[in-house]
Amino acid sequence: MNLTNLINNYAEAVAMILFGIGFSNLLLQKNLIKKIIGLNIMDTAMYLFLALKGFVSGRKAPIVVDGVQEVEAYINPIPSGLVLTGIVVSVSVSALMLSLTIRLYRRYHTLDLDEITTRMKKEGL
Amino acid sequence: MEFVQNLPFISIILSLFSGPLSSVLDGKKAKWVNIAVISIISVMSAAVLAYVVGTGRSFVYRMGHFPAPWGNEIRVGILEALMAVFFCVIMLLCMVGGVREREQQIEETKQNLYYVMVNLLLSSLLALIYTNDLFTAYVFVEINTISACGLIMIRQNGRTIEAATRYMIMSLLGSGLLLLGICFLYDLTGQLLMSNIQEAVRALDASGQYHIPLLVSVVLMSVGLAIKSALYPFHAWLPDAYGYSTLSSAAILSSLVSKGYIFLLIKIFYRVIGFGIVRESKVIHILFVFGIIGMIMGSLSAIKEKNIRRMIAYSSVAQIGYIYMGFGLGTLLGVIASIYHILSHAATKSLLFVAASGLTDSAGDSTDFLDLTGAGYRNKLAGVAFTVGSLSMVGFPIFSGFISKLLFAQAAVGHEIKMLPTLIALAISTVLNALYFMRTVIRIYTPERRLGNEKQRAVPLREQPAKSTALICFIVLNIFLGLSSEPVIQMIRTGLGMFM
Amino acid sequence: MNGWILIPIFFPIVAGIFLLLSSFLQHLREVKRHKTSRTAVAAESEELRNIHILTAAVLIISAAAVLWAVWTGEKEATLIYLMKGISLYFKVDAAGRLFVTIASLIWVAICAYSFVYMKHEGEERRFFGFYLVVYGVLTALGLSGNLVTFYLFYELLTLASMPLVLHNGTRESIMASLKYLFYSMCGAYMGLFGIYFLFRYCGTLTFTAGGSLDMALAQDNKGIILIAVFSMIVGFGAKAGMFPLHAWLPTAHPAAPSPASAALSGVIVKAGVLAMLRMVYYVVGPDFIRGTWVQTAWMILSLLTVFMGSMLAYREPVFKKRLAYSTVSQISYILFGLSLLTPQALTGALLHTVFHAIVKTGLFLTAGILITQCNKTRVEDYVGIGKRMPWTLGCYTLLSLALIGIPPASGFISKWYLAQGALDAEVGIFRWLGPAVLLISALLTAGYLLPVVMKGFFPGKEFDADTDKLSLEPSMWMLAPLAVCAVLAVILGIFPSPLIQYAEHIASAVL
Repeated sequence: MNLTNLINNYAEAVAMILFGIGFSNLLLQKNLIKKIIGLNIMDTAMYLFLALKGFVSGRKAPIVVDGVQEVEAYINPIPSGLVLTGIVVSVSVSALMLSLTIRLYRRYHTLDLDEITTRMKKEGL
Repeated sequence: MEFVQNLPFISIILSLFSGPLSSVLDGKKAKWVNIAVISIISVMSAAVLAYVVGTGRSFVYRMGHFPAPWGNEIRVGILEALMAVFFCVIMLLCMVGGVREREQQIEETKQNLYYVMVNLLLSSLLALIYTNDLFTAYVFVEINTISACGLIMIRQNGRTIEAATRYMIMSLLGSGLLLLGICFLYDLTGQLLMSNIQEAVRALDASGQYHIPLLVSVVLMSVGLAIKSALYPFHAWLPDAYGYSTLSSAAILSSLVSKGYIFLLIKIFYRVIGFGIVRESKVIHILFVFGIIGMIMGSLSAIKEKNIRRMIAYSSVAQIGYIYMGFGLGTLLGVIASIYHILSHAATKSLLFVAASGLTDSAGDSTDFLDLTGAGYRNKLAGVAFTVGSLSMVGFPIFSGFISKLLFAQAAVGHEIKMLPTLIALAISTVLNALYFMRTVIRIYTPERRLGNEKQRAVPLREQPAKSTALICFIVLNIFLGLSSEPVIQMIRTGLGMFM
Repeated sequence: MNGWILIPIFFPIVAGIFLLLSSFLQHLREVKRHKTSRTAVAAESEELRNIHILTAAVLIISAAAVLWAVWTGEKEATLIYLMKGISLYFKVDAAGRLFVTIASLIWVAICAYSFVYMKHEGEERRFFGFYLVVYGVLTALGLSGNLVTFYLFYELLTLASMPLVLHNGTRESIMASLKYLFYSMCGAYMGLFGIYFLFRYCGTLTFTAGGSLDMALAQDNKGIILIAVFSMIVGFGAKAGMFPLHAWLPTAHPAAPSPASAALSGVIVKAGVLAMLRMVYYVVGPDFIRGTWVQTAWMILSLLTVFMGSMLAYREPVFKKRLAYSTVSQISYILFGLSLLTPQALTGALLHTVFHAIVKTGLFLTAGILITQCNKTRVEDYVGIGKRMPWTLGCYTLLSLALIGIPPASGFISKWYLAQGALDAEVGIFRWLGPAVLLISALLTAGYLLPVVMKGFFPGKEFDADTDKLSLEPSMWMLAPLAVCAVLAVILGIFPSPLIQYAEHIASAVL
């Protein structure tokens, strides 16, 4: 196992660890709010990863300030664009999840998904 | 460029804009706008299909006239056009068939919101089918998820909200993995357009570099989409979501939404990665195994189920297992069988949902098995339609299900190792299907012995013209797919040929 | 013109659907206005006559067409392609020709009978509609040229013949027909399981005398193919009433109208026999299963069914149920003949197929006459019946003798061939066990059929012959088909040689 690669790319490793944390929270937490937090961690990890990929040290943002330079002077703008799109998506998804959570809380007065299921079965729907 | 080439883009935009338009209309008008939009799009897609079949070549439509690596593109071949036509027709029939349920079960003020969701769903499905850009696909996957969630929870009771929550959680897990996979792939190739990625992936594969990251990316994308399309261990949300949402939602979700994801996965396999590389990876073995387990476990759960809607929902789990088993085989025939099964299952499952609701109508909206005794006499057309659907599901000749089973068997025998498990699973699941579907048919045609159950009432044909029309169209569609399968299969074959 | 063989298949189906549609429209109209006046009654009988003429015309035209088509040389036709390499394909061959001929003759006979019989059941349009559809499907089944076409029409046969069983619409008959549907479907799916495998291991699914199994491929996977073949045998055995899927027969027969049971027992159960014949002798090939456990299991199952059917029939008091159990037992004679895989036994099986079709049709027609004329269903009620309807019971006697196998009536010849085949075959213990079971079963057959004759003609002293001297003989329309069956059963026994030659010709082609 070549550890130097891992150390050189520590930022990507962090992004992946964050993704794992978020993913397992979304999957395993019983509390709905914690699930949503997990979702946001997962998405953020992804944006971190994308932003890292879009960053090349020593280059500038692709905005022309002092005359057009060579292509090599700028970074690729697409990853940043993807991050922006992704943020919009994740905001709307989080909003939807939160509204669902509010609905469920008003009806069952708990945030625990398993508890909700048992109460629902008791309700006999 | 010919005018017809604009039509795919126009149809996406049309349904996308009819969404916001519906939000300011009242329910009735929104309904008519929705039906008009779907019909127009079906006609346009049919025109596109005719055009593509006529020229025999796929075409690429550039959005904003930027050339290949920078611009966003739409790509249309025979398979895409066929899917678009088919999805539109099924959606139209589902919407027509569930009119009365929607008016009863959704609050008056929220009627128009339902149509907003349906229009968005249609546009996202079309975009998933047509797009040539991987990130656009991701965005529309999310739009698809959100609008599908809206379709589930618009009928308000505890079950649907809980089901919608579970559905969202599973879907978000899936799209998280999908996005990660796409990011990996972008990182490896530096491209987002499918055709460019494929060139880059070929070059990578030839040079032998980055073998493992490529594999990881394939695994992430396929697992993500498998989760979203309710492949077996990830199906927990499905019975509640299909079982308690309003009729059109259940029919559309089961027959179209999950199929949209599967179609995207097929595109990723063929157009992005290249099927040769996918076949060498172990991913398809995983899909194959879970497909087979799903086929059997889904049927077993369906046998245990006492609620007819949930039973049909569990049968979806089994059918999705069939589809994954098909491309798990890793042969061209297997993928053809899977795509044919997507069509046949879409036509049959929505038929079953609509027919089942006709039956439950005559039992005073009870979905319990016992109350359905003799329902086939009280609502004759629904009884016949349910029988047709069941026969198609279990693989009765002249209906579509028979052809897809034959295709699966034909595909299976071409594979040395996977042949036996496939055939055995096919046989077992056919018998299990027969058990629960024929049991239901027998139940609905068993004469009622208990008298004086005032919940039950006869539902004559004239009372529900919309549902009856939809049912008849579904039956015709099923028989059409069952009898003239050869042209459809031929189209799928050439369409897949265009993918490569 | 090869396409001609499609006409006798689709003409009766279309005509039947036309009748069904007209029946449907009539129902719609009747909801609107109530019929009261006498003119309506007259109009109705006029209408009924039209239905009869239409049915008879369609049936006779298509029977003539199909007989002409099958007896004037080999023909083949492809209808459509379902997918690459799988088509709906029809072909005339010797076995199919035999099946189609029997089916046509019996169908015409039963049709004449049911013109009168169905008057007291009602709903003639529906009955004759389905009757014609089933005829078309049977023809198609006989002419099917490959396994997929065969399977398609086999399933359609189940679906189309089900309404004949549930005709009178009582709860009992509906449950019986659903039971029939369930058993047939389960059986068919077990058959489909096998078809999946044969896709792989057979060079072609087109029926080829002697089978088309690819031996080199099959040797490696012998075990699994044998399992598939066995599941097909058991599955197709459902329709032929073979143990363990036989239970629908005794339920369906008493519930159905008598012409329907005659058709069911005489011809439709033979579809199961034809399925096994096609599958074993024309697709898999007899050599593949000779000497394997499949052959042994098949023989055990069929012998068990022969014995069990006779025993149950012997103990059964309800006449039609007794005949149904008798069918269970007799069909398994045929299946035993098929399972021996020798030319002689196969000849016997084919002969018994023909004879049993004729005899059992006749027996059920008798049952129908007895039920309508004296309104009694149990065997012990038929005391002294011979005095009041001597012709009917006379025919019944001849038919019984034929079924038991008393020479010179026909059953003797087929059973002789079966026993000979068993003695000559190399099947170990079954060489003598088979004939022994057949013999015991023949005695039991005598035991369950002849009491009706004896009680009918010789009611004993305590029976008061003067109570009712009125003749109960039915009309000529009902009696004539019965008489035809009885006479055929005897004549074929006296002059069997053309039929035997034909059967031997089929057997020598496949073995």
